[in-house]
Amino acid sequence: MLEDELTVSTRERDGVAIIDLFGDITTFAEEKINNAYREVTNQGARFVLLNFRQNDYINSAGIAILIGIVTEVSRNEQKLAVSGLSQHFQKIFRMVGLAQYAEIYQDEDEAISRFKRLT
Amino acid sequence: MSTSASAQMSIELSLPSELGYEVIARDAIAAFARRLGLAPERIEDLKTALCEACINAIEHGNLLKPELRVQVHCRVEAERLVIEVLDQGVSPFAPRGEPLSIIEKVSGLGSLRGMGLLLISQLCDEAGFVSRSGAGNCFRLAFQRQAIGGAHC
Repeated sequence: MLEDELTVSTRERDGVAIIDLFGDITTFAEEKINNAYREVTNQGARFVLLNFRQNDYINSAGIAILIGIVTEVSRNEQKLAVSGLSQHFQKIFRMVGLAQYAEIYQDEDEAISRFKRLT
Repeated sequence: MSTSASAQMSIELSLPSELGYEVIARDAIAAFARRLGLAPERIEDLKTALCEACINAIEHGNLLKPELRVQVHCRVEAERLVIEVLDQGVSPFAPRGEPLSIIEKVSGLGSLRGMGLLLISQLCDEAGFVSRSGAGNCFRLAFQRQAIGGAHC
């Protein structure tokens, strides 16, 4: 098996729980992403931002993990957004329908400013 | 690179059936496509589609058996770049009808997986299984060499 190349971390900014995702989003990412989402949800997050950074590879297994997150977000009555995706992966997110469930922003600052209007 | 010269060019790769190796094929074929002058947006489409085809071969064709191989053949034709992904066919391809929509997946009506073929069909100029002699599946992807810009969505 080739090495898992994803680092996940969480932080809070202006009332938004940010999950930073550095690296590849593939089947190997499931535990890390789900754990980070559970962590911010257990801390009471209402607004969650998946902040993609240096993501050269997002495949259908990774997309399935993200569909699982939007399912949980809907169940937990949270708001979800994504930022930092390349133009290509923004297109992929629209193709598979993820954009119906998560607003897509160019960067973290834009996402935070839009979340602020909701608070 | 002239058309006559490029028409004779081809690449053949052989991968173990382990997830992660699709990235090796992706990077090699993307470098090849770049030298042929494929537009950067189309190379991104190619990279995603090829990875999905390799993952299908690894997971469904060869059932993740690392001793089985996935072959990736890439050849240049006058107007298109053709890539074939071949597995050893432990599990022959069986169409399962239309994939579930994301709305159905979020509603819990089926597996969250299964977006690969949908992506491939939207990212390539041509894509589909083709018949081959002997055991195994052959999935063919093709990209027009003159195509400008990305796939529509």
